Amino acid sequence: MEARPGLAFQRTGARTLNNHGASGALSSSFPVLSSPKLTDYQEVSVERVPVSNPTDVRPLFSSSSGAVGHIFSSSAGFSSDLQYSTSAPHEKHSRKSPFISQSSNPGATMPLQNCDSGVFKSTASSRYTTENNNDSWCTESVRSYLDGPANSPGVNNQINDSNAVCVIPSEDFSKTSDWQDWADQLITDDEALASGWDTILVDTGGAGPEPQIPQQVSSTPMNFPVQQPQAQQQLPASSGEICTVATPSSSAGGSSTKSRMRWTPELHEAFVEAVNKLGGSERATPKGVLKQMKVEGLTIYHVKSHLQKYRTARYKPEATEGSSERKLTPIEELSSLDLKTGIEITEALRLQMEVQKRLHEQLEIQRNLQLRIEEQGKQLQMMFEKQQKSGLNMVNPSLSNVDKPEAILNSPAKSEPGTLHPEHQPSVDVPDNAIPESEGISAYIKEKQKEPEVEISKDLVSTVVDDSTEQPAKRLKVNE
Amino acid sequence: MKFGKRLKQHIQETFPDWRDKFLSYKNLKQIIPSLSDGSNECGKSEEEFVCLLNCEIEKFNAFFMEQEEDFIIRNKELQQRLGKMIDKWGPMGDQESDIDYKDEMARIRKDVVDFHGEMVLLMNYSNINYTGLAKILKKYDKRTGGLLRLPFIQMILEQPFFITDPISKLIKECESSIDAMFPVAASKKKRKREEEEEAIVVTGGLVFRNTVAALQTMQELRKGSSTYGHFSLPPLKLPDSDFFSSFQLHSPIAIV
Repeated sequence: MEARPGLAFQRTGARTLNNHGASGALSSSFPVLSSPKLTDYQEVSVERVPVSNPTDVRPLFSSSSGAVGHIFSSSAGFSSDLQYSTSAPHEKHSRKSPFISQSSNPGATMPLQNCDSGVFKSTASSRYTTENNNDSWCTESVRSYLDGPANSPGVNNQINDSNAVCVIPSEDFSKTSDWQDWADQLITDDEALASGWDTILVDTGGAGPEPQIPQQVSSTPMNFPVQQPQAQQQLPASSGEICTVATPSSSAGGSSTKSRMRWTPELHEAFVEAVNKLGGSERATPKGVLKQMKVEGLTIYHVKSHLQKYRTARYKPEATEGSSERKLTPIEELSSLDLKTGIEITEALRLQMEVQKRLHEQLEIQRNLQLRIEEQGKQLQMMFEKQQKSGLNMVNPSLSNVDKPEAILNSPAKSEPGTLHPEHQPSVDVPDNAIPESEGISAYIKEKQKEPEVEISKDLVSTVVDDSTEQPAKRLKVNE
Repeated sequence: MKFGKRLKQHIQETFPDWRDKFLSYKNLKQIIPSLSDGSNECGKSEEEFVCLLNCEIEKFNAFFMEQEEDFIIRNKELQQRLGKMIDKWGPMGDQESDIDYKDEMARIRKDVVDFHGEMVLLMNYSNINYTGLAKILKKYDKRTGGLLRLPFIQMILEQPFFITDPISKLIKECESSIDAMFPVAASKKKRKREEEEEAIVVTGGLVFRNTVAALQTMQELRKGSSTYGHFSLPPLKLPDSDFFSSFQLHSPIAIV
């Protein structure tokens, strides 16, 4: 009963992005997997980034914002190379480390110009402690299940250095490419990721001081408690115990009052079991339940608040099953119930279910579309970056301008061994700044909507490129 | 209708305790004009914008996870209630003419349907906020010529509030148990459409009204945009769109 488009998306996405092909772990539980994967993987790939080659990093930072294309290409080159051949270890090394801090703090770093470097440093430094905390186990875990190169121990040094010299444009670009890499990693290593779902704890911070907030939000997917290095290895794909989102502060200092736990049904089951063993919700104490549950990373604070909710739910079922604000006022409800017979109420409920099911269905489709669109945009971005790089290598002046996607698509496309099929590459007639896939995607999506069960073709990009030749007609259709 | 307006309308129609949990689209939009367009000026507006964005995301996460937790608890409770009923009256309980049984089952049924609806509305909450974020980021990039959008969206895609898979799973479980426990009789199809609508309008609670409203919102938001781009969703095609739009959503009793 899983939403098919979602399934199809993920599978083909994996195939598209990864030469190795989607692993067998992609099952019907994939949609559930995607979240843990994402969260897990963030952390892993963060630590993978360690740049063993500072010399690659520096020139990028010293360049001015004018050299946008250059920065693009260098980071893009690495990332796309990584995507296309994970067996090229040296490329991974050359990734820029600042991405760790950047991506973990988009709020503070991204928009700021040099005049705000003070803010940079303060937030950056608080991030360092986090990285330090997680560094040891991460490096270990990374080594154990990633088939990448050995990680350089100098992660934090890199972060320090590169952060000190941060320039906005380069950050943005590196961040862009790194995010793409992360997504790639997500899909390539789903086995390892799947194992991370169970008992992985990540705490998300509540409202903290200003500079903390960006950290918390963005680092939510990215930090894992230090005490769980092995957990990632053992866990089955589809069961989820705890997934909380962590802040650097909470993982470093254990200030649990700020952490938020993401409860799962399985975790709740364990909770209920523990409570029952202790004599019911009234008699059970948070401490006792915590002890009984024996779940690592669970704090008494989590249990306490959950127990409170649980008690409320049990002893005031009318209050929780649609609280008073949500129901009709008593007068309305009485009269409506009096007027209608049982059959009509049943009928009403049936219709209500229908509507709700419909909304759910549409939400799922919409969400998958949105995911797909973002993925496409990302891929295209990567493509452009790659073309930029190879364009520059060829010393071809006409390719240095980002605004000429058609030139970029045309010439290097044939030499591109990646997901783009050269034979599907007619001379793409692209209007100035439009990305050719827009009409392609929309037409494609339209079809998809009609047949949500249809599996997306493997190579979406080539499909899109095919469609783009029919642009003018499709554009008209779309704009109706 | 513009997104900001539609969002505002949606907020007004939604549950009272959800109202301040939605995206502050207007506030974010107000920062846009003061953003610098590429020149190396001091990025105070940018900072404000991003700070606000992060606050919003944190707000979504907090609310979403809280609701999710509540749903998980309620789900278990409903299951237990049903279980008790089955234990008491046996698996063929629907044969019972016992009035208590019928009452309790009716109550459970209503509760389950409402529960289902609330979960779906939470998903809708997630989606509408995501849409708003995507839109506002697009505006930001357009204004500054910057590249905030892509990485930010990537980050958002990994946030708990966007990852609605656990809720979706619960919803599906709910649907299947409703279908199993309360099978739909074939005779329903004979009823006239108007009668059905009337029944719904009168007996439909806030949950139901919200669901219909949400569907309509979704449809409107995707009707067609002036700035159609490669990140835009195509128009929504609901087979029963007439049916939905005919619902009277204006309650005689003002929703406080």
